[in-house]
Amino acid sequence: MIRRALTAVHCLALLLAAAAAPARAADWRMEAAGSRLEFTALFEKTSAPGVFREFDTRLRFDPDKPADSRLEVNIKISSADMNSTDINNAIRGAEWFDFGRFPQAEFRATDIRRIEANRYVARGALTLKGVQQAVEVPFTWSAVPAPAGARGTFAGMEGEFALRRSAFGIGSGEWAATNVIGAEVRVKFRVRLRSDG
Amino acid sequence: MPPMLRNSRESWGSLARFFHWAVAALVLVQVALGLAASAWRLSPMKLDLFVWHKSLGFVILLLVLLRLIWRMVNPTPALSAGMSGIERLGARASHGLFYVLLILLPVNGWVINSAANVPFSIFWLLPLPAIVAPSPALAGTAENAHFVLFSLLSLLVVVHAGAALRHHFVKRDEVLSRMLFGPPRT
Repeated sequence: MIRRALTAVHCLALLLAAAAAPARAADWRMEAAGSRLEFTALFEKTSAPGVFREFDTRLRFDPDKPADSRLEVNIKISSADMNSTDINNAIRGAEWFDFGRFPQAEFRATDIRRIEANRYVARGALTLKGVQQAVEVPFTWSAVPAPAGARGTFAGMEGEFALRRSAFGIGSGEWAATNVIGAEVRVKFRVRLRSDG
Repeated sequence: MPPMLRNSRESWGSLARFFHWAVAALVLVQVALGLAASAWRLSPMKLDLFVWHKSLGFVILLLVLLRLIWRMVNPTPALSAGMSGIERLGARASHGLFYVLLILLPVNGWVINSAANVPFSIFWLLPLPAIVAPSPALAGTAENAHFVLFSLLSLLVVVHAGAALRHHFVKRDEVLSRMLFGPPRT
């Protein structure tokens, strides 16, 4: 009897707790097939596009309550491809990305805020070529219909921002001059995410 | 008498002479730029030298095309009367080969740039569209062809200048002076 009453109280407490707690932010994993991370430099006043072929995104995020979010992006810098043998050979060197010493970059953010409707900004730290800098990454969030037969929830995250290469020592020595290779590099991303939660 | 713009059957007009000497001067600058750009160590200077070389290549291509049009709508001065059959054949063949090389070299350069997929704007202003898809193999082949065409052009310049000097100092005819000064003043 006492035992049964305790169980009932226990159940009630659990129900109350569930109702009072905020909806848990979902955990999202990146679907590599639908995701792309591009960068565009300025080469002799001419647009020079490239991609990082390998990168991964992990996200804890509730679009309605972005306060408890966590965003982690890991980028394999040595997967950079500018679709030109000459340029690809150059950017692996110590004056540019220095693949040998810094093959990975990462972005970590725990501060994600809604700007309006489906637009957000993630404030975090970008570690690139051994330099850590505060970076703001704006993005739009959109629900994506699940492909036929797939389980889980799908979403898309895309955005664009600019970095100054000098802040990370990319293009050092005589390459620091910005008339030949521009100071600013635009970064553009389109990430497809899946949540099973 | 005002300078004659058009050619006559006897001599070159001022526009044809301008085209000849402008292309001659630009080709010399172009060779210097090309050799310097390819020999330079990888540096901002090397990239700038290549932008100058590629841009000048398009100026030369444009001048040569205009020059060909001008040649078609003008009489071409007759070859010197004192030339033998073989000399006439050599003159016509070498002049024809000049036009072929002066068009092929820039077009071949365009192929190299497209195949190597190096971003390029003519004089930093006009982005150049690609004429072939990126291909390291094609870029290598086209670079070798560029060197072969350049070698042929260099050889032709030596033959051409040698022949002009022979006309002037050995055969003592009007071939060099009419390209330098046009028709004799009367």
